Amino acid sequence: MISAYYLQIIILVGINIIMASSLNLITGFTGQLSIGHAAFVSVGAYASALATLKLGFPFFASLLCGGLVAAFFGILIGIPTLKLKGDYLAIATLGFGEIVRIVFLNLEITGGAVGLRGIPKDTTLTWVIISVIVTLFVLYRIIRSRVGRALIAIREDETAAESMGINTTYYKILAFGVGAFFAGLGGGLFSHYFRYIQPNSFGFLKSIEYLCMVVLGGLGNIWGSVIGAAALTAIPELLRASADYRQLFYGAILVIMMRIRPEGIMGEGIFRKGNSAGDYLLSKIKIKFNK
Amino acid sequence: MNKKIISLLSILFLLSVLVASGCGGNDQPSGPASDPGPASEGEEAPESTVVKIGMVGPLSGGAATYGQSVRNGVEIAVNEANENNEIEGVVLELFAEDSEGDWSKAANAFSKLAEQDKVNVIVGGVLSSESEAGGPIIMSAQIPTISPSSTATGLTLGNPYLFRNCLSDEVQASQLAEYAVTELGLSKFAILYTNNDYGVALKNAFEETAGSLAEVLAVEAFMDNDENFKPQLTSIQQLNPEAIFIAGYYTEAAKIAQQAKEQGLDVQLLGADGFYSPVLIEIGADAVEGAIFTAGFHSGDESPAVQNFVNNYRELFNEEPDMFAAQAYDAARIVIEAIKSKGTAPEQIREGIAETENFPGITGNTSIDEEGDTIKDVLILKVENGAFDRIR
Repeated sequence: MISAYYLQIIILVGINIIMASSLNLITGFTGQLSIGHAAFVSVGAYASALATLKLGFPFFASLLCGGLVAAFFGILIGIPTLKLKGDYLAIATLGFGEIVRIVFLNLEITGGAVGLRGIPKDTTLTWVIISVIVTLFVLYRIIRSRVGRALIAIREDETAAESMGINTTYYKILAFGVGAFFAGLGGGLFSHYFRYIQPNSFGFLKSIEYLCMVVLGGLGNIWGSVIGAAALTAIPELLRASADYRQLFYGAILVIMMRIRPEGIMGEGIFRKGNSAGDYLLSKIKIKFNK
Repeated sequence: MNKKIISLLSILFLLSVLVASGCGGNDQPSGPASDPGPASEGEEAPESTVVKIGMVGPLSGGAATYGQSVRNGVEIAVNEANENNEIEGVVLELFAEDSEGDWSKAANAFSKLAEQDKVNVIVGGVLSSESEAGGPIIMSAQIPTISPSSTATGLTLGNPYLFRNCLSDEVQASQLAEYAVTELGLSKFAILYTNNDYGVALKNAFEETAGSLAEVLAVEAFMDNDENFKPQLTSIQQLNPEAIFIAGYYTEAAKIAQQAKEQGLDVQLLGADGFYSPVLIEIGADAVEGAIFTAGFHSGDESPAVQNFVNNYRELFNEEPDMFAAQAYDAARIVIEAIKSKGTAPEQIREGIAETENFPGITGNTSIDEEGDTIKDVLILKVENGAFDRIR
C-alpha cells in the first residue's frame, strides 16, 4: 500500500495538471497572458464546497457546479478584457484575481477570513485520475480541432486571424470559459481533498505558480503542462531533504531551466527565432518574473 | 558552442550544489537536536530509544519570523532535555518542516512527518490555517500535535489529537475588554481590526464583551500592509471614544498610533498579542506610549525559568525571544513531560498532553482542557518609557 504522503503528492500533482493545462489553453494556445488563474480555482473551490455543505449536493454535482460557476466568471472576465492585449490583459486578470480574493474575504457565506472547514473528504485518487483524463482529453480534442487552429491563429497574429474570418471575440471568450471551467473543477477537487479553504491561499502567487508550471513545461503543449505541473509540485517536496536551502534550490532550478530551454521542456517552435508573437509573449513573461 | 558550455557549467553547478546539500540535508532534520553529543558521551552504551519530534511552520516566506521563532523555541527545549538526559533512555530528535506559510504545503509537511519520518509527536502548525489543514491529517495518522500559536476559534474541537498552547483570540479579547471597563474605567470604545481570521476573531469577542459592559461606538476595518488609516481614524474621532482597540499586528498598530496622534486623537490604545514586538516601539515611538495589550509571554519577567530561557535564546540565536518562541518552548516542554509520565508511543504522548495540569511554563501555569484547548492566565502589558511592563 502506498504511503499517505506519496498519495497526497500524487493527488496534488493531478490537481495541478488540471490547473496548468487549463491555463495553457488560455495563455499557451490562445496567447492571452492571464495571471489570475488562481481566482478561477478559488471560485470553483468555494462554489463546490458550498454546494456540498449548504445544498447537500453529491460530490460529482458539486464538482460540476464548481466548474460551471468558474466558467461563468471566466466568460465574465473574458468579455470586458477582450480589447486588452499583453500587459494590459495581464494586469486586468491580476486585478480580477484580487477582487475575487477580497470578495471571499468579506462574504459571510464563505466564512470570511476564517474560511470554510469541515468539507467532506470526497476527493480520492480515482476521482483525480478520471478528472485529469477527462481534462486532457477535452483539451486535446479542442486543440486538434478547427477551434484549436483558430485559437493558435489568434495567438500567432490576431489581425491576420480576424481577416481570415475567425471570430476572435468568440474564440477568446471560449478559451477563457473552458480554461476557467477546468480550473474550477480542479478547485473543487482541491477543497474536497484538504477539507479546508481560506481566501488568502488563492492569491497572486498561486497564479504565478500555475503560470510557472505552464512556461516550464512549454507554452502551447498540453504534455508540457503535465510535466511542468508534476515537476513543480514534486520538486519542492523532494527538496525537503535540503531543509533551509530548499527555496534557494527551487529558484536555482527554475532559473537554470529557463536558461537552458527558454521554450520550456516540451515547448515547440512558438519561441523559435523570428516568431514575433512568441518573442513578444516570452519577453512579457520574463518581465513579469523579473519583477 | 559557447551556449553549450554555459549550459554544461550550469548543470554541473546545480548537481554539485545538490550533492553538497544532500550531505548537509541528511543530517539537517536531525539538526542540533540529534547531535550525538550527550548520548554517546554518556558512559553507558548508547542504547537509547529515539523519539522524533516534528515541527511544521513557515520557515520561509512572509511569515518566516514566526516559524523560525517556533523552531528555535522547540530546539532549545529538545537540546535541554537531551543534555540533561531528562528522559531515561530517550534521545529526542527534531524534524523541522517548512510550510512557506501556505496551508496546502503545510498539509504536505504534516503528511510527510506522519507517514515518512514516522514522528511520535508534532509541534505545529504555526499559523491557524496550517493547523486547520493539518488537523484531519494528523487525526487519521493518530499523531498527537500541539500548536504553539494557532489561535483560531474552535480549532481543537472534535479532534482528540490536536492541542494548542496559546490563548484563543476570544479569551484574550474578552478579558482585555473586561479589564478595560472594570480596572481602567473606560466606557466608550472604538474598534479597528485587520480583516483576516485573527483580526475578525478579536473584534467579535471584544465587541461582544465591551458592548455588554459598556459601549462600542464604531467598528472599522483595515487590511494588512495598509499605510494610511486616516479615513478610519477621522470617522472614529467624530464619535469621541475614550479608547481604541486595535485588533491587528504591531506594524499597523504602530502606524495607527502615530496617525492618531497626528490627528490629535488622544485616546487609550488597547491591543492583543499582535502588539508584542520591539518593532511596535521602534516604529510607534512615543505615540504608543501607554498602550495596553494582552500577551502570552513577557521576556522581562524575573522568574529564573524565564530568564534562563531568554539567556539561552540570546546565546544560541543572537536575538530576543518573542511570544512564538516562548509558547513553542512550553509546548515542547509539555510534550517532554508527557513522554516522561506516560511513555514514548504516540498514543501515550497524546494521553500525557491531554492530562496536562498546572504545568509551570514560562508563559504561565498551563492546563489543557477536555477539548484540547489551553487554560492559562492572560498577561496584560503596558508600554512604559519605551519598554514593556507587566501590569497584570
